[in-house]
Amino acid sequence: MPRRQLLLRLQLLSNPLVLCGVRGVVSPLASAIGFGEEDCHKITLALDEAVANVIRHAYGGKLEGPIEIQFHKLNGADTTKPGLEITLIDRGAKAKPDALKGLPPGELRSGGLGLHFMRQSMDAVVHTRVGSTNRLRMVKFIH
Amino acid sequence: MQISARHLENTTIFDVTGDIDLANSPAVRKAFLSEIREKKIPRVIVNLQAVKYIDSSGIASLVEGLKASRDLKARFILFGLSKSAREVLQLSRLLKLFEIYENEEQALSAESV
Repeated sequence: MPRRQLLLRLQLLSNPLVLCGVRGVVSPLASAIGFGEEDCHKITLALDEAVANVIRHAYGGKLEGPIEIQFHKLNGADTTKPGLEITLIDRGAKAKPDALKGLPPGELRSGGLGLHFMRQSMDAVVHTRVGSTNRLRMVKFIH
Repeated sequence: MQISARHLENTTIFDVTGDIDLANSPAVRKAFLSEIREKKIPRVIVNLQAVKYIDSSGIASLVEGLKASRDLKARFILFGLSKSAREVLQLSRLLKLFEIYENEEQALSAESV
């Protein structure tokens, strides 16, 4: 059995209307892999926030920016725990380093929570820039 | 997502149905701020019983409603939070900043804090 198995690849455009579709896909997929209800919600929240960030920041609100989402099942071979790896790829603007720090929660402000939600919900959140593409890799293990 | 308003004496109750995300949170925000800043309604209550999902943009709309109401010494009250909505507010560490009740009756009868 391969250590990492591609289950699904989605091609989207950067329109906020797609978010409900993304949520509709990821939650049952996570459940089918073996995550419980609470973790399915966390994964859904993290992915929703990640796609929203791409729409708002990478594409500046433009509606036709391409976004690819890959879902890989981690099969837990060797020392790796089983789980789900989600990769978002976009061709938008490079994220500013300060934007990737996130803002501390708990203050009464109306922004800056998305990155915090992603990091609290997933076991790993890694941003990279490869050529002209942004890649966001998020991993959640089945504990 | 649908949002509708019921007007009682000195109170507006917003009934929100569906998911609040980046696609529709601007409409939610606009509805709250219009009622608070333009109509100067002293008490705005938000019914979230039919909201199954809310993300950070939805939380931001609630925060803006709360801030606007505080600026005008109005009240901004939530009721009927689902488990997932409550968890998202908890995750944002903003749960304790809001006035929250289980149902409409409690929200309407609650005295100012």
